[in-house]
Amino acid sequence: MGFLSNLKNRLIHGGLTEEEHERVSRAMTQLNSAGFDPWGVSPETLKASLASSIWLYRKYFRVETKGLENVPEGRLLIVGNHSGQVPIDGMLIATSMLLEANPPRLARGMVERWAPALPFISTWFARCGQITGDYHNCKELLERDECVMVFPEGVSGSGKTIFHRYELQRFGTGFMRLALETKTPILPVAAIGFEEALPSISKLSKLSKRVGAPYLPLIPTGYLPLPTKVTLRFGQPLRFDAPADASDSAIEQLVDQVKFSIQKELDEGLRIRGERIFTGVAK
Amino acid sequence: MSEKRRILFTGASGGLARIIADRIKDDFEIYGIDVRPLRVGARFPGEFLQLDYQSRKVSELFRSMKFQAMVHLGRLPMEAQYRKFSRFHTNVLGTRNLLDLCLKHQVKTAIVMSTFHVYGAHQHNHLYITEDDALLASHTFPEITDAVELDNISVAFSLKNREIRTLILRPVNVIGNRIHNQISMFLRTGACPVLMGYDPMQQFIHESDMAEAVLLALNGDKSGIYNVAGEGVIPFTKAVEMAGSKAVPVPEFLKGPSIQFMKWVGFDFPKHLVEYFKYPVIVSDKAFRRDFGYQPKVTTRDALESLITGLPGSLG
Repeated sequence: MGFLSNLKNRLIHGGLTEEEHERVSRAMTQLNSAGFDPWGVSPETLKASLASSIWLYRKYFRVETKGLENVPEGRLLIVGNHSGQVPIDGMLIATSMLLEANPPRLARGMVERWAPALPFISTWFARCGQITGDYHNCKELLERDECVMVFPEGVSGSGKTIFHRYELQRFGTGFMRLALETKTPILPVAAIGFEEALPSISKLSKLSKRVGAPYLPLIPTGYLPLPTKVTLRFGQPLRFDAPADASDSAIEQLVDQVKFSIQKELDEGLRIRGERIFTGVAK
Repeated sequence: MSEKRRILFTGASGGLARIIADRIKDDFEIYGIDVRPLRVGARFPGEFLQLDYQSRKVSELFRSMKFQAMVHLGRLPMEAQYRKFSRFHTNVLGTRNLLDLCLKHQVKTAIVMSTFHVYGAHQHNHLYITEDDALLASHTFPEITDAVELDNISVAFSLKNREIRTLILRPVNVIGNRIHNQISMFLRTGACPVLMGYDPMQQFIHESDMAEAVLLALNGDKSGIYNVAGEGVIPFTKAVEMAGSKAVPVPEFLKGPSIQFMKWVGFDFPKHLVEYFKYPVIVSDKAFRRDFGYQPKVTTRDALESLITGLPGSLG
């Protein structure tokens, strides 16, 4: 029976169970007459992509979550630590927000400014809610009560070597000004386990500078991510009340509070997990 | 009963001018001018004159008629029959002359129809472009400079001459079965070439909503620049499908030859539109909705699906 119902799901719901199907529909709150949301997300493409990310989420990285009950309603800025060379951590967080948050939310990622020039990929990004990382885009989304996901460390976070794992790099401050301007709560999240999936031992800085790439990881275990066990620990939402045009030093103090709460979740999770990177649950 | 107010339409041979004029023919005495002749079989609800916007006769018309308002819809599109010089002559110098005449003859309201194309399809565009954003069109495609210049001239005019209520409308793609602009004709071709791998979001506004927007602008009391959009956003290929055509993906390196091919089969495809098939230009009409109470009535789906047949009676 299990096989039959599984087959039915695959055929009728494109690999999603009825419940997952319904959760995606619930997350899409602003569809227009043509069936698209104001930023070009198509529920059909989103569901098709979710089918493959669910496999990564459940079967490959066996993601556990903690603290998803902390997700507030309305506009939201999710701030996480970036790790693991490739932006799969963002995909896992977005998947958890769709599958496990109540109500389900579509967490929109911010992609690089050269991404719209890539054929096919740019279209797929747009249909799944990935938007060019731009002040105006982000502001518009938050003003319309959407959920945006940012990694203020940027490439210095995702590209760091295994020797610096779980060390938070410098945070950019743009996200904090946006949060203050739009009065958006910040939800800190710590991803534990993905740092070891692609253990880079060098960024090959000189070579990557020459070819214009942000980093070129040298990974002795190969370029297929290892099936480490990933835990996402969501902290308490942080609400700040300060003028958005405060001085840089004032903003940096607030950013440090966000950084601190992510670091706290990381430390706590790592203490629980220990060195069991393939099996250890960090909650 | 007092004398009827007089209004001048430019671009009067176009479909939109006729639709708007039809709606206000009871309240206004309507005059229409265009550098193009009236389409065969078309009827303009008012007096129609085929005139160059810089001609002596246009000055005379302003002098004798004492217009209350001018609706400047007469921007020549980028089609092969209008060479760069004639577009510059009509769109830039012509607009300049018309606005000067408005000032000279105390016209109270001038509405200038620009286009969302002036923002330009650029890789770094953010979504929901506002009226304050830069006009990048001539950077990506210099041929479109006349449209940007028309916009610039009108904006400068509205800032300098506050005694005339000048509105610059920047609408998105206007579509409908009664108008013959490039995007409507393109979507009606049956097989529409699109750029392979790119499917930017687009906005469409139905001709009747556009007419309504111009009337709101005419009867309102605010001036300035306003984006005007329709109900929703939709990927370009989806729009093509909804309009009843088939999207034919063309790899980017073949775009030149395929434009030549379309020209050869009789469809003059404007090259600058290709850029708009690659990157999205999505505008925000928040300001227009706020200041004029504008609310589109025709959904994007209805507008596209009725492109050939027209809307069913209740809506049209």
